[in-house]
Formats: sequence, structure tokens, C-alpha cells
Amino acid sequence: MNPKKPLDPFFWLTVVCGSVVVAFILLPLIQMMAQPSLQDLKEAIQDPAVRRSIWLSIYTSGLAAFISFTIGTPFAYLLARRDFPGKKFVESIIDLPIMIPHPIVGIAILGLAGKNHWLGHLMHQVGIYVMGTVTGIVTVLTFVALPFYVNTVKAGFEAIPVRLEHVSRSLGASPAKTFLRVTFPLASRSMLVGIIMCCARAISEFGAVVIVAYHPMIAPVLIYERFTAYGLKYSQPVAVWLILVCLVLFLLLRIVTGQRGSKTAAGKKPS
Amino acid sequence: MLRGLLVVLFLATGTFFPLSASAEPEGKLIIFHAGSLTVPFAKMEEIFETRYPKVDLLREAGGSTKMARMISELGKPADIMASADFAVIDKTLIPQNAKWNIRFATNQLVLCYTDTSRFADEVNQDNWYEILGRKGVIWGHSDPNLDPCGYRSLMVLQLAGKYYNRPGLYDQVMANRPEKNVRPKSVELVSLLETGHMDYAWEYLSVAIQHGLKYVKLPNEINLGNYNFDDFYKKAMVKVTGKKPGTWITRTGKSCTYGITMLEDAPNPEAAKAFLGFLMDPKGGLKILKDMGQPPFIPCRVPTAQMKAQLPTVLQKWVEVKN
Amino acid sequence: MIRIETLRIELPGFALKDIDILVQDGEFFTLLGPTGAGKTLMLEAIAGLVPITSGHIRVNGRDITHIPPEQRGIGIVYQDYALFPHLTVLENITFGLRYHKTDPQASEQWLQWLMERLGLRQLASRSISYLSGGEKQRVAIARALAVKPSVLLLDEPLCALDPNFREEIRHVLKKLHQEVGITFLMVTHDFAEALFLGERAAMLNHGRIEQIGPVSHVFKRPATPFVAEFVGMRNVFPATFDDAKAVVDDLELDLLEPPERDKRYVAIRAEDVVIRKEKLCRNNVNVFKGKVLEVIDRGISHEVLVRTGTVIFKAMLTKGTLLEMNLLEGKEVHIEIRPSSIHVL
Repeated sequence: MNPKKPLDPFFWLTVVCGSVVVAFILLPLIQMMAQPSLQDLKEAIQDPAVRRSIWLSIYTSGLAAFISFTIGTPFAYLLARRDFPGKKFVESIIDLPIMIPHPIVGIAILGLAGKNHWLGHLMHQVGIYVMGTVTGIVTVLTFVALPFYVNTVKAGFEAIPVRLEHVSRSLGASPAKTFLRVTFPLASRSMLVGIIMCCARAISEFGAVVIVAYHPMIAPVLIYERFTAYGLKYSQPVAVWLILVCLVLFLLLRIVTGQRGSKTAAGKKPS
Repeated sequence: MLRGLLVVLFLATGTFFPLSASAEPEGKLIIFHAGSLTVPFAKMEEIFETRYPKVDLLREAGGSTKMARMISELGKPADIMASADFAVIDKTLIPQNAKWNIRFATNQLVLCYTDTSRFADEVNQDNWYEILGRKGVIWGHSDPNLDPCGYRSLMVLQLAGKYYNRPGLYDQVMANRPEKNVRPKSVELVSLLETGHMDYAWEYLSVAIQHGLKYVKLPNEINLGNYNFDDFYKKAMVKVTGKKPGTWITRTGKSCTYGITMLEDAPNPEAAKAFLGFLMDPKGGLKILKDMGQPPFIPCRVPTAQMKAQLPTVLQKWVEVKN
Repeated sequence: MIRIETLRIELPGFALKDIDILVQDGEFFTLLGPTGAGKTLMLEAIAGLVPITSGHIRVNGRDITHIPPEQRGIGIVYQDYALFPHLTVLENITFGLRYHKTDPQASEQWLQWLMERLGLRQLASRSISYLSGGEKQRVAIARALAVKPSVLLLDEPLCALDPNFREEIRHVLKKLHQEVGITFLMVTHDFAEALFLGERAAMLNHGRIEQIGPVSHVFKRPATPFVAEFVGMRNVFPATFDDAKAVVDDLELDLLEPPERDKRYVAIRAEDVVIRKEKLCRNNVNVFKGKVLEVIDRGISHEVLVRTGTVIFKAMLTKGTLLEMNLLEGKEVHIEIRPSSIHVL
């Protein structure tokens, strides 16, 4: 027989707080998702400007994630494996983009890339323009999203015992080969999480982008423009589409890489 | 005796009647205004708050259309709305959110640049349109759909074609302005000029003066600053987006005229009236506007006697009826 | 052959100093010491995985001090196996093959032999996570040996295993070493392992070597109080010597023969301290009266502390003997120590 346990007030407190948090996050989103009619959604997706902006958002965020992956992975490895003077300082620099208000990021990058700054002058001379270009958008997105990638992957590398790398070296593999054959595959899951975090962060960025590039419009800027030019009614359907597309993309990413992960676990036939 | 009784009654009930005329304004006063009014309104806030220390003036600046939408669509509380184009108030706020609309100042369009702009040493009143068409020159304006300064910039270009008798001018110049050079607010263009991302940008004269920019002043016929030329301005027509995506409305050129109104459900009408009284005083707000490159109407104007009658009594003395 | 000369490694808060070791070709050498003595550090230094402050390491005459680990040809087996979790058993074992240019047929034969010897054939396609501890350690050994290293380093290979697997791997190691003829260098803190496996041993304490020699020699003739205690001599006392007598506090112990000069300690194994209830009148050499101070349960046997004057002896009794003698705390007893079981250090 199971005697009824007395209800623990603390347990109920945690449940109540949990429900509040969930409701707090879901209510506004559900409200927004439920607002536009199917007709509104259809009209929105038939609008080439909307499709263009959503595609641009995905494309630039993906590029930002790819750049973070290429330059962030070796850097995260360095941070995870080496101790050097000033490491704490470097680590807090990585976190800066998370703390800086977003418009300031945009202003700072614009200021640097302008013709009146020597670097911007140089960039203009070789034909790199930041204001109002995809280059500019990707620069800003990488700036704000890179820390999410580096921090996630750094933790992933730290979780891999350094002894595995030692053994690999002792078996004849160079540091680069060791990284490719041992560390990289073992960290691939955390890299995937890092990429998803990085993409998610990039796709949600507005404040920094709108300062660097109003045109071409990424989806959040278009949503804002729609709101200011036409009002709530015409910005909501675009927002709904952006959320839906992102959900599907992230789901796909998880499924695709999840399958690959289970394949390795199943093992190959001995040769 | 009766008078004494009234005084007692008045004293007893005074605090409960916020509308009573002689109560000193207090509390928060929320003003939404066009971005181009930021500098003079900041100055007015300073003086107004020393005059009415119990009032806390809160300003929010933005594109006029956007600010008006915040009131009409999101129901954001505000006491006063000042628009860079008085027509925005007519279009968006009257009749639901406001009843009247006072025109209180003018402005004009100028072409701003800096020392580092390309061809900064040769640009003048007669060759500016030719320079804007040159390859490598980066120039921009604000979004005509969001900011009156944006469509006015386009109107200036249309008028210039007629005034200088060069029919292809508008298209030639616009061909040299990729869409990325269009920004939501004209004030943003100032920082793009200052950082060297842009060579030339269309701004209100007031903005140019307040930010210490160099500018080309244009003839009255095309600068949208003098209502005596309204008949000529009318020839400029710009299509801007309408109430929903894919629909368009046509804006017709007319002189830049600032409009201001008090909202129907203003949370603090007493303070709002005090501020409007201060603004419309030729020795108060209007003088500040004048100093900052936004020539005021002295006195301020309403289009009809009917509208004048709808104004709060304290404000009626500051306006004349003139369309 | 490994020759380590005046090796020095300095880390924050720890240092290995003045390490000189010569390991013969094909020898099973053990590096002994308590936790924190610097054993693993030394192993990783030989493998090239930690930077060396000064000194030299030579393997088969080649100075490898500044050669990266992948070019040293030294295998390593860690106590936690350090298997690659994303690879199968076979993929683990063959991991290093591609970096060693050998005749493919010969290396395939070698591989087959290794897997046969280590009983890994059936496991080849298994994932690492489904192996037992003993299987994992066998895979780790096979992986290290697959590339035919000139030296195999073993870092406490038995430590993380269950007792029954420990026995198994111990035999596997001993046999393998006899069959493959590769130099083995094993780190352990368990002297019994060294006794079973090792030919010679070095005792490491606080980053310094205290004694090097054949394991049995170290066991029988510890050179320092630390080594004496490490090899199980529970009674180590400072002593002064007078001809064939040792004086420990107020006790005089008869020795078999006068010790060499500059000896400063006597050491006696606990099992060599004999406890009697009655004083037997045989010859009365080294028989002392004392009082039982404490009886400590050590599992199979019991440790009995007996105070004699100011000296406390530790003796070892089986449970049966203990019950039979009815030894309780405070009881008067006699202890006897044969002169032949007194070691002089």
C-alpha cells in the first residue's frame, strides 16, 4: 500500500514558479502566432520582399555560424587546452559582445568601417563596404553570435580527457591529425549545439543590424519596417513565418546530425 | 458671502479636480515628437521644467508616422504628439485620438556633406545634382515610407528637374542611389556622413545646423521651405506605401510644416496645456525653434475657425486661422 | 633501453629532481611510489607529453628529449584506459597503424597475434562502451602494442580494475612481456604488483628517487625508512648501534651481526613481531614485556599495537590467533623479535 505523502509546500512553489515562467514565455508568442489569419499568412509569404528577407536572414545567420565555426573552433580549443598569461582577460573579452547593448555594436562597427577611419579607408579602397551590404550584416551577426559558439565548444573540448590526445600522439598522430581524428569527432556534438546557438542568436539580432544595414532587409528589420509603416497587422504574419521557418530549420539540423551520431555509435564491420 | 462659500468649496474639492484651471501642473508629461525636433524640444524641456518644477517631461523621438502609429495602434499613452508633417496627425490621429492640429513651424531641405565628402570643395547650388549623379559618390535619404524627410527629399529632386529645366535629372540622380543608401530616419544619415560611409545626405536645415554639418542651401522654389511656393511644390508627387503592403498613396509637395496636437485621452492634460502654451509663446518655444533653424509661424496656425473653437481656451489666444 | 639522465621537471608547487634511471632492453621495470610522488609525470615526460626543465632522455641510444611524442615510438597505457569512445575495438587497436610504415602482411599477422593473445577477436566490432574494465584494459594494451613501440609505458594499469580482472590483467601483462620482448615501464603504488611483475624497481618519493634495484632486493633491503614502510615494514625506528646491538629508546635489540657504518634505523615487519602470553624460557633474546595498546581490524588479519617501555610495536595476527590468545586492550604480553628479522637501514 502506498500511504499518501503530505504535500510539500516547497515542491508546489517550484511547480507554480515553473508554470509562471512557461506561461510568461509562451503567452506572448502564442498570442502573436494566433493573431494573423491564414489569409494574412498566405499574403505575407506571397510577398517577394518577405521571402527575400527571410532567406537573407537564414543565409546571413548561416554564414555567421560558419565563420564562427571556422575561426572559433581552433580558438575554443586553444582556450580549453592551454594556460597562458592573460587567459582570464581573453575569456572576458569573448563575453563582451554578449554584454554590449546591440545598437552600440552596430555603431562601433560602422565607425570603424567608415571612410574617415584608416581601416575603413583601406576597406573602401579594396572594395569592402559594410554599410548596407551583406558583408556588413554578416560582420555584425558574427560579432554578436561568436561568443555563443566559442563558449559552448570550449566547454565541449574541456569535457574531452586530454589523455585521449596523449594516447593518439604516442601512437604516432601529429597534433593536427590528433585533433581531426580524436578531438573533432568527440566534440562534434558540442560544435553542433554551438552552431545552433550561434544561428539562433544571429537570426534574432535586430538592433545592431538595423544600424549597419537597413537595406537589404533581414527579416527582423523587415518586421520592424512593416510595423512602423503599416502597423501590427502586417508585421505579425512575417514574424510568424520567420519563427516557423527557424523552428523547421533547427529541427532538421537536429534530426540530420542526430542520425549521423547514432551511426557512429552502431559501429562499422571489422575489415 | 457666496463668494466666500465658493472659495471654501473650491479649496475643499480643488485637489480632486485635476481640470480646475488654477491647479499647478504636476506629474509626468509624455511627448512624442519627430526626430528632427529632438534638439529644440530638449532645450524647451530644460526651460519648461524650471518653470514647472513639479512636471517631469518625458520625450520620445522617432519617425513621425511610427510615433503616430504607436499611439493609434499600440495605444501607447502620450499627452502630446508633434509631427514633422502636420498631415500625419490629420491622417493617423484625427478623429479617434485627437481633435485638432496646430501648425507651429517650418523647415526646409538642404543637401548635407562634410569636409571628407567626395567633391566637397566644388559642390554648390548649381552643380549639386550633377555631383549626385557622379560615379563613386554615395548619397542617401531617409525611407519615404517611414519618414516625411524621405519623400520630401525625392520631391526636391523632382522639383529640381523642373526648376533647372533638366527633365531627366530625377532618374539620373536616383540611378546612382542604391537601395542600401536609404535609412529609416534622416537623423541616422548624419552619423553615416560623419563616419564617412556617405558623401551627401538630404536633411532638414535644422538638423544640419544642430549637427554643425556643411550644407548646400537650395533656392526657395525647390527647398519646400516657403509656403509662398506651395503652388510650385504641388507639382512634385511621390508614391509611398499605403495602409497595407502593396497599396500606394501619393504625397504631393507642400512646404514643410510641423503640426502638434494634444491627444484626447492624454493622461496629463493640465501639464500638456501648459507645455503647449509655452511652446506657442513667441518669447518661449517659438524663439528656440527660430534659433535652431526651424522658422516658426508667429503666431501659430489652424486651418479653420471650427478647429480653433475646439482648442482648449488657454491656447486659443496663440493661434490665427489661416490655411 | 631507456636512459634518463639528471632529469628535472618543475611545475607550480611540484618538482621532479635529479632523476637518473637506466632501464635495460626488454626489462620489466617498475616505478614505485605513493600518490603524488610524481610517477605519472615521469611517465608522461618519457612519452614527451610534458615539457622537461632540464636533463636528457635516451631510448636505444637516441636522444629523444626534444622529439615530439608522435616520433618517439613509445606506447602508453593509462589506468583509465583512455580508449577512443567514438571508435570500435578494432578501430581503436588499429588507430596508430597508418603512421607506421611496415610490411602490411607482417603487421596484419602481428595484429592477429595480439588480438588472439589478448582475447579480443570476438570483440573486434564492439563499441567501447559495452566492454568490461578488463576488456577495456586489454584493448588499450593491444592498441599500444599494435604499432610495435620500443618501450611500453603502463600507468597503474591494474588500479581501476575489479580484483578478479586485476589478477587476469596481471597475468596477461607478465606473459605478454615475456613473449614480445619490448621494454615495459610500469608505474604503480602497489608493491605486490611490482613484486609479481617487475624485475627491477625505482622508489620515487616527493619527486626524488630513494632506491633503485631488483625488486626482491628493495623488498628485503629497503634503503630508507620511507622505502621500508612502503614495502610493508610497519615498525621503523631510529636507532643507535653498539657492536651487534641496536638501541631504540630504552630497548636493546640483539642483531645477527654488527651493522655497517652510518646506519640510522631499524625496521621490522609486523608479521615478524611475535606475541606470546607467557615468557618462554628458551633463550630470551629480544623478548620484551609489554601491554596491548590497541587492536585494529585490518580485514583478514588484525594489527596489534604493543607498548614496551616508550616503544610501540605493531604486530600482525590472524583472527583465529587473536581469539585463541584472547588479546584485549590493556593485557600484559611478551613480544619476541628474532635477530634475523631486524633490518638495519
